[in-house]
Amino acid sequence: MEPAELTGLALDAATRAGAGYADARFVEEATESITVQDDRVEDLESGRSRGIGVRVLVDGCWGFAATALLDEPSVAAVGRRAVEIARASRRLQRDPVRLSGLEPVVATWSTPVERDPFEVGLDEKLALLLEACAAQRSVPGLGYAQAFVDLWRRRTLFHSSEGSRIDQTVTQTGAGIEAVAVGDGDLQRRTWPNSFRGRCEGGGWEVALGADLVGQGHRIAREAVELLAAPELPDRRTTVILDGSQLAIQLHESVGHPLELDRIFGMEAGYAGTSFVSVGDRGSLRYGSPLMSVEVDQSVPGGLGTFGFDDEGVPARRTPAIVDGVLAGFLTSRETAAVIGEASNGTMRADGWAALPLIRMPNVNLAPAPDGPTLDELIADTADGLLLSTNRSWSIDDKRVNFQFATEAAWEIRDGRIGRLYKNPTYDGRTTEFWGSMDAVCGPGEWRVWGTPNCGKGQPGQIARVSHGVAPARFRDVHVGVR
Amino acid sequence: MPRLGDDALYGLADAAIGIGGVDAAEALVLHQAGGLTRFADNRIHQATWRQDLELRVRVVVGGGRVGVAATHEATAEGARDAARRAREMAAAMPPDPDFPGMPGPAAYAAAGRWDEATAGSTPDERATLVAEVIGRLPAGVDAAGALETGETEVAIANTNGVRGSYAVTRAHFSILADAGSGTGYAEAAEPALADLPVDRLGGRAAEKAVASRDPRDLAPGVYPVVLEPAATATLVDFLGYLGFGAKAYDEGRSFLAGRLGSLVCSPLITMVDDGLAPDTIGAPFDFEGVPKRRVALIDRGVAANLLYDWRAAVKHGVEPTGHGLPAPSSEGAYPLHLAMLAGDSSLPDLIAGTDRGLLVTRFHYTNVVNPMETTITGMTRDGTFLIEDGKVVGAVKNLRFTQSILGALSAVRGVSAETELGGEDFGVVRSPALAIERFNFSSATTF
Repeated sequence: MEPAELTGLALDAATRAGAGYADARFVEEATESITVQDDRVEDLESGRSRGIGVRVLVDGCWGFAATALLDEPSVAAVGRRAVEIARASRRLQRDPVRLSGLEPVVATWSTPVERDPFEVGLDEKLALLLEACAAQRSVPGLGYAQAFVDLWRRRTLFHSSEGSRIDQTVTQTGAGIEAVAVGDGDLQRRTWPNSFRGRCEGGGWEVALGADLVGQGHRIAREAVELLAAPELPDRRTTVILDGSQLAIQLHESVGHPLELDRIFGMEAGYAGTSFVSVGDRGSLRYGSPLMSVEVDQSVPGGLGTFGFDDEGVPARRTPAIVDGVLAGFLTSRETAAVIGEASNGTMRADGWAALPLIRMPNVNLAPAPDGPTLDELIADTADGLLLSTNRSWSIDDKRVNFQFATEAAWEIRDGRIGRLYKNPTYDGRTTEFWGSMDAVCGPGEWRVWGTPNCGKGQPGQIARVSHGVAPARFRDVHVGVR
Repeated sequence: MPRLGDDALYGLADAAIGIGGVDAAEALVLHQAGGLTRFADNRIHQATWRQDLELRVRVVVGGGRVGVAATHEATAEGARDAARRAREMAAAMPPDPDFPGMPGPAAYAAAGRWDEATAGSTPDERATLVAEVIGRLPAGVDAAGALETGETEVAIANTNGVRGSYAVTRAHFSILADAGSGTGYAEAAEPALADLPVDRLGGRAAEKAVASRDPRDLAPGVYPVVLEPAATATLVDFLGYLGFGAKAYDEGRSFLAGRLGSLVCSPLITMVDDGLAPDTIGAPFDFEGVPKRRVALIDRGVAANLLYDWRAAVKHGVEPTGHGLPAPSSEGAYPLHLAMLAGDSSLPDLIAGTDRGLLVTRFHYTNVVNPMETTITGMTRDGTFLIEDGKVVGAVKNLRFTQSILGALSAVRGVSAETELGGEDFGVVRSPALAIERFNFSSATTF
């Protein structure tokens, strides 16, 4: 059967079994992953996956079932099983789930791609990665060099009992390098353009070509070796400038996650936790300095969270989350938006056919300062502080208040100039105090989208690829050098 | 649900490895099915079921050139398509003169347990158990968590004669009880649902939640701690992650570099990986079809052994330990059945032996700060209590730790005789409670 017939079969089975609402996602995925270390290929893997997931509401109670077996009896059985699961869940139900309104839509969407990354020959991919490693290995004292490419293509055929039919294909590409220096019981690494296996964006092979893996290889390797001899960052309070990579993770952990409305409602309490934010804080909670404005945006070019429609069929949109430092909105689903009397802002995403859609960050972006400085100008404006570069470690409490991060490198800023390199930099803080200390944000010329391809949530666990648009920013009186 | 069975799994594997035009081929077939009943605020809000079959094919063509392809299409044609893709990728690879070949046939010990009732458990059964636990909660206590039951069937075959299969079930329950200003947590994993002490876990979480109400502030600093098994499991799990594999050791990026054979922590600590143990959710072989072996990683405080997948074993001229991951497995050997062995104390005795310190239920969102020093950071969560004069005197607000694992294990004063099994997906960890003389808390939070 064709995918559209399969989704129709699943919906039919679910509605005949008693579902009041049902949606079916046929998902077809292709993946490719390559890791080159020094002069050999360590990993070369190609993946294909197809399956169907069915979500139903029966008397206001959810059920979900999914299968990779795409014969007609198995697909129909999945529709019925979802209803069985929903019925079993009713025994503890208090208030029935309601969904916010949504106009059914028939549409197609696909990521703009200049060059299909799956059509690029393996020899061309390997040549790029081997050359990127060779550039790193030109630095004496390096332990080893790595270069990576990751490709994802996900086609989702979404079919709902309300009449939506959406055929959406998302293509994403990642490429990066990692230089590792080892010596005297120490290990230091530098990555480019980002940790998490590099720059990950929506798009095709042009993403990898634009990552400048070869051009940056020597510098990255040199910095890794230099870090071995660098001093540890002292424990003190100081001014810090976070580069884009680190600021993206700061935003992810301390803004994106706490504003997920399902977390606020306690729906993730059993695993990832809840939030210090409550619904009543909207309009009043001072989240950060007046320089802080954050937007939820499913449309920004190149974002890992850029799509036409979420996995409930809600169209992409841009909605404010924080305006001039004050909480203004949340990440919602049709279920959670209905509780606060609003329409969903389209953040429901599932990690493939086997997963139930959950509220996930799409692209959560910190606005640049319209007339903000360049990074060089911001450094020149800083009398005494640190530039922290490239995320290395992250941790935050289960309400998203106390956090601790580590970066790969930190450079002293003294009288507006970059100085000494420090290794193993760490900093900690509490969310609203930290964002309240932000006193400068770079301008639009420094703003770019950073991919975070490994966000985890849910039981069973799911991974989402998300992005954060940021420009570097400065924060005052931050505790660094955590011991 | 019913097993697919060996015939079905081997049928797919044989379709893949019979492709021809290759020097060698290997097919790993994983069939997983199961349901999860998730609850929050005392209601079941996300209940799911899924069935998946993954076939992973590794082929070798001349010069040791390897390609790997995976598919979830559970048909013979899907298997052959995956094998063809792997063959195309291998042909485009540069030669690998160090490719060690594939393992050969071996005998496998019995391991893992299949429980028919667990495999056949229904949404209704899971919902009933959850409802019963929630129904027993004291007034003013809400719960969130998940009850999951599932089955895994594995088959592997290669053109060198490797042929093996096994099937296991597992049940996992976790519950977070919320008493307003305090929370408590408990979890357990077992091969059989009937052996999961769901009611006891609910009661334990509720007691901790009530005891955690109105926590007081406590200044960060270095404290003696008593870690309950779920907290110890974090140390064990991360130490396993940080570098017992031979590849990491060879590359100098393991914390064991230069320390193999040396005392690295208290002699009270012995840590093993044993997929054949009767008290784990086990497996008879790894993902290359190599028989699993019990490996003492830390033996009475001494860094004793590394883990070797097939490639590392051939390189070093030693027996493989059965810790290979699914191809391409670039990270090398990895422990999936960790256990810190029991001692001879008890949790009450460990608490009684603490003058002033903290009792920690579990850790949250732990991450690596310095891999060579085994330094990790994370938060306490869901039941953190002050001990004074050997008694628990009240709850404290949660603290962040930044601590070297080996540093903590070097300061172990006591190990409980009771252990608990926890974990998800493929990996499990069995851990005791520990009393540790010095544990560094670097900051605190507001709750």
